[in-house]
Amino acid sequence: MSMTKYLIRRALYLVPVFFGITFLVFSIERLAGDPVKLLTAGQTRVTEEQRQLLRQYFGLDKPVYQQYLLWLSELFTGNLGYAYTTGGGAPVSTLIGQRAVATLELQLLGLAFSLLIAIPIGVMSAKRRYSKLDLAVTNTSLVGTSIPIFFLGIMAILVLSAKTGGLFPYGGLESISPNQYPYGSAILDQLWHLVLPTSVYTFAILAPVVLLVRSSMLEVLRQDFILAARASGLKESTVIYKHGLRNALLPLLTYVGLYFGGLLTGAPITETVFNWPGVGRLFVQAINNLDFPVIQGVVVVITLMTLVANVITDIAYAYIDPRIRLE
Amino acid sequence: MSETLLSVEGLRTYFYTYAGVVKAVDGITLQVNKGETLGLVGESGSGKTVTAQSIMRIVPTPGKTIEGTVKFEERNLLRLKESEMQHIRGKEIAYIPQDPTTTLDPVYSVGDQLVEVIMRHQPVSKRYALAKAIELLHSVGIADPEIRINQYPHELSGGTKQRIAIARALSCEPILILADEPTTALDVTIQAQILELLKDLKQKLNVAMVLITHDMGIVADTCDRVTVLYAGQVCETGTTEQVFENPKHPYTEALLSSVPSLALRKETLSVIPGSVPNLIHPPSGCRFHPRCAYSRQVCIDKDPELEPIGEGRFVHCHRWKELDLKSAVAS
Amino acid sequence: MASRENPTQQREGVGQWALAWRRFKKNPAAIAGLIIVGFFAFLAAFDRLVAPYPPNCVPTPFNPFCTGQYSPLQPPSLAHPFGTDSNSYDVYSQVIYGCRAAFYIGFGATAVAMIVSVLIGLAAGYFGGNTDNLLMRLTEVFLVLPFFLILLLFLKVLYYFSNTGAGGLEIEILIIGLFSWPGNARILRSEVLRVRGLEFIEASRQIGASANRILFRHILPNVLHVLIVLTTLQIAASVLIEAGVSFLGFGDQTVATWGLEFYYGFNYISDAWWVETFPGIFLTLLVMGFNLLGNGLRDALDPRLRE
Repeated sequence: MSMTKYLIRRALYLVPVFFGITFLVFSIERLAGDPVKLLTAGQTRVTEEQRQLLRQYFGLDKPVYQQYLLWLSELFTGNLGYAYTTGGGAPVSTLIGQRAVATLELQLLGLAFSLLIAIPIGVMSAKRRYSKLDLAVTNTSLVGTSIPIFFLGIMAILVLSAKTGGLFPYGGLESISPNQYPYGSAILDQLWHLVLPTSVYTFAILAPVVLLVRSSMLEVLRQDFILAARASGLKESTVIYKHGLRNALLPLLTYVGLYFGGLLTGAPITETVFNWPGVGRLFVQAINNLDFPVIQGVVVVITLMTLVANVITDIAYAYIDPRIRLE
Repeated sequence: MSETLLSVEGLRTYFYTYAGVVKAVDGITLQVNKGETLGLVGESGSGKTVTAQSIMRIVPTPGKTIEGTVKFEERNLLRLKESEMQHIRGKEIAYIPQDPTTTLDPVYSVGDQLVEVIMRHQPVSKRYALAKAIELLHSVGIADPEIRINQYPHELSGGTKQRIAIARALSCEPILILADEPTTALDVTIQAQILELLKDLKQKLNVAMVLITHDMGIVADTCDRVTVLYAGQVCETGTTEQVFENPKHPYTEALLSSVPSLALRKETLSVIPGSVPNLIHPPSGCRFHPRCAYSRQVCIDKDPELEPIGEGRFVHCHRWKELDLKSAVAS
Repeated sequence: MASRENPTQQREGVGQWALAWRRFKKNPAAIAGLIIVGFFAFLAAFDRLVAPYPPNCVPTPFNPFCTGQYSPLQPPSLAHPFGTDSNSYDVYSQVIYGCRAAFYIGFGATAVAMIVSVLIGLAAGYFGGNTDNLLMRLTEVFLVLPFFLILLLFLKVLYYFSNTGAGGLEIEILIIGLFSWPGNARILRSEVLRVRGLEFIEASRQIGASANRILFRHILPNVLHVLIVLTTLQIAASVLIEAGVSFLGFGDQTVATWGLEFYYGFNYISDAWWVETFPGIFLTLLVMGFNLLGNGLRDALDPRLRE
């Protein structure tokens, strides 16, 4: 197996992508304004000299390409730099590290739950094509794909959250003070906070997955090998799951790989709705504060996560589909 | 005459589609005796495949068998429970689908797919099943079965895949094999090999076979009896000799004279004018009348009966008595 | 099917478009989609007749068209059927004006995305070889880019130059369009590959038709049905993205959009449910309309699904 070869080839063309995207972000963000001015706005006692000193301290006085090269060389030693303001000037890697856990927790849980729910529904719907069940599933899914996640989230908050007298906390990772922990348990408290965001997230990405499983199942079920399997007297469940689903998983895998990147990018919206301290909200805050190192850091990390998701997909693909192995 | 193994009567399988009801199989009657090979002949769209699928009750949606009996060894298959039917499929009646390139699941190895069927119908260990699979591959003329067994379908040629499909069909020693155009998708040289293999196996195992084909040459070569289908109905049935020497239905006559290998002696190779009719709104009366050289008013008005004409032959034509049909192969 | 004739050229009887329309008419979901989209198109075209107040209306003595009094976060009433938001804008009117913005964004961004995806899909599928390889790598790159983040950055830059984000709508349209083509281009490419294999293309190549002629006279018409479906679905997706951007407060604050209402209402969820709920329903309905329409068109136009 030429896994190493594949990884090398993959890395080769992604290196220019990496440089391209980081340089793009680097130059655009600097057009958005002067962070030092923003930082010192309204502070009449700060003199222009002091501002200039601050710019020198952040390295903002140098030409953009020099700043970029400096940032790159730091990056290769594993240093993402220090935030201007966020977290009191904490190291960017620390800031992102804390948030990435929250982001991945929500994303992976949502993805896992939606797959768990969507696969059986999609399979059942495909199996009974044109039945009432199938019709109900496809139509509900269609409505599902049309509801924006922030609307769904807000509706959930309106109906279910403590903010409007409901059951669940409307956002955040945990209660502010330990006194509010249910039964005094920190773990229960975190789970309790997870319920609303995870359910909304799961339902928001459920519909497209159901439709995809259904359509790729339909595609597979009309293949001759399904007919042949049935003609061999195999149990219907063997035909559907062992032969049908295994083949139908291939497009699903591509979808998950591709869309995982998309989901990460969409994190700002989801996390804003649920006041979820993840990478997405960090990014929005950093843009609003013109905190360049944080912006760059988030872009790097999210791009890397997307790439890793793609590579994992490819490897899983080769594992499921024997036709890929030879290449 | 030998014992009847399978007898199909008045079989109707319709497809309920968006555009309308497609009457793919509309009153087909046929019979297979123990150990014999029946050729099921017709153009594409004549209902050959759907007939075979209806017998096995594996018609894909939106198709439904709505009428008829399929008697197999004193049991009406259409009345059996699905679970009982599963034990007939693959074990007593085996099916070899049309296109060998697509009948094996691409994500499982050859061995997996054979073992799966063997273990479904026989109480044997996995190791025994694997040994049996290797033996089967050997018996269908595959070289190096120990290597092939671990390979995946995409690593094999079309001919090899068809041999594997045959091996799978034979794996539980069925009494009847339905082979759906087993050679159509293959190269000519491989076609001959596969036909030879089928003939061989039939001889050795004394299994009955329904050979679905559109090729009269293959029928002449391999079949004991023939049933000719047109637009979801039977035209005529008889022994291969009877039908070839002395066709009773105009469609059979036309079919015989359009086969190059058979019509060599004739000056011209004829073509049947027109094409297979629309099965949502089939022609009135005899479905062949728009393309029939001998059609009369009665053919347009009335659908003929499938008439027994002696010596075990049946004909589905108003005018079979008056017509003196010529066979392109008659000596 | 190995036909030597170009299947899109009309033969005797009904053409394929007439057949498609017949299938479309039989599909209630598709008709529902058409009606929803039609309804919203009507609202967008005649918004000033349907909405009781001018856009972004805050009643002041200097504003003769905007009557009533300053009354933020009022629940639905006769004067304000959907209530008012924190700016005292009439939510009903804002939602109606949002229709036009939604169409503007949907059609604009989709036009950009579709032009790019057609060019890239056709070129990659038709010329194959190195062209195909290069274009498909490029597509993969675009699929990896965190485009939403880049979009937010661009809009932030805009805010530096204009403190209301005026002109942001056009920037959104351009960027959403420029980043939305990869998926569509891939699908078009595989369709082109399929059509290119048909015999009539080979035949016209052999009689010496130019690549341009083959591409635009023969191949494009034969992938048109896929293009129509992708376009419809892309409109829905673009509207959703824009709403997300505005919800985060990066949108154009001079144009009434549904996302912007969300932004205004988000801080007052517990006090004023109406500010979020009504724009949300409209947004969902329009997106659903386009999705229904797209699926209906796919069922009607895609011969592979014909049964």
